Amino acid sequence: MDPIKTDRALRNRTVIPRIFYFFLPVLMLLLLPRMFPPGVGIPAAGAAEIMTDCSIHAGSCSRRLPGIEITLDIAPKPVRAMRDLLFRISLAGEAPDRTPYIDLGMPAMKMGPNRVILKKTSRNVYEGKGVIVRCPSGRRTWQATVTIPGRGKADFVFDVVY
Amino acid sequence: MLSIDALYLIFFTTGFTVGFGHCIGMCGPLVVSFSLNLKGENIFISHGLYNAGRILTYAVLGGLMGIAGSFTVVSARIAGLQQAALIVAGMLIIVMGLAMIEWLPFGKYVKREGKTGGILARGFYKLSAVRSPYAFFPIGLLLGLLPCGPVYTALIATAGAGIEAPNALYGFLSGAGLMAVFGLGTVPALLLAAKLAGLGWLTSRRLIYRIGSVLMILVGVFYVIRGIRY
Repeated sequence: MDPIKTDRALRNRTVIPRIFYFFLPVLMLLLLPRMFPPGVGIPAAGAAEIMTDCSIHAGSCSRRLPGIEITLDIAPKPVRAMRDLLFRISLAGEAPDRTPYIDLGMPAMKMGPNRVILKKTSRNVYEGKGVIVRCPSGRRTWQATVTIPGRGKADFVFDVVY
Repeated sequence: MLSIDALYLIFFTTGFTVGFGHCIGMCGPLVVSFSLNLKGENIFISHGLYNAGRILTYAVLGGLMGIAGSFTVVSARIAGLQQAALIVAGMLIIVMGLAMIEWLPFGKYVKREGKTGGILARGFYKLSAVRSPYAFFPIGLLLGLLPCGPVYTALIATAGAGIEAPNALYGFLSGAGLMAVFGLGTVPALLLAAKLAGLGWLTSRRLIYRIGSVLMILVGVFYVIRGIRY
């Protein structure tokens, strides 16, 4: 066996994998974002069925419960995840006995309890601070459930900005 | 206002319930990959150490939230680290998938050059050597930083508890304790997933390992994509 050829073959077996392993992550980093551009996303199970019913970026949203109308507003706009947000509930109609509160969650995924405690700021207006977290799956649809103790609950489903 | 004991119970039950729902779906691929790579060895020790590392990271994050009393302040500072953790997790799974079936010249190359070769060879050697149970603790520490909705939600509550703390030390300890309890609650679900994927109950595993390797590589690529886009 030719020792020069053997030596060259051995060197190739060492160098070629090194080149491959160096370029594999680089190629991956360059190509994958093009294959999955932001905004397109990887569809999540059940995502297609979830419809938003509140354009919270455009303004406040209202729901009716028997004898009371609930208006939800969130500031600042656009409503972004992972930011301190101010939640405001305005009620029209018969005033509740106890203070309302808001539970934040995702309609399609259990995220654990995330309650916004509200305080009365003026007649029939309640405010509280909260955070909508970012779901790494890329889903953006969140739900705020406003509970008026003794009167009922109202859901507001909206998209947030990541 | 809830007592601290009640909060511990709430955090544990929250961890337990989201563990069987959210964690199995989102972090399940990771523990399944680890189990496949272990090929039936040291499931409980390795995964116990992985979970211990993860819980320690949660506790430190909880402690920081408890001191700061603000979720957004701390989360903004660790966002880059979390993105890096997501990408590293993806790369780790890809390398383990490749190493498991010795695809490409990877396995032989590492065995020949691993301990004395260059940085690249040593790096891959270390990554492919994660069958050692002790390697799982630092992996858990790192992957405890993975961005996760329920962990964020628990941290918001921890920051809320921190606001009411009389001093920084109490805020740190209560925050760390609450997040540690939350992490403990998620352990049963992940251990169950790890055990089921351990394949110790299968007699013919060769084909399963091959399929598992392909799945691991796909999951790894998915994690890397998520990391890049996060």
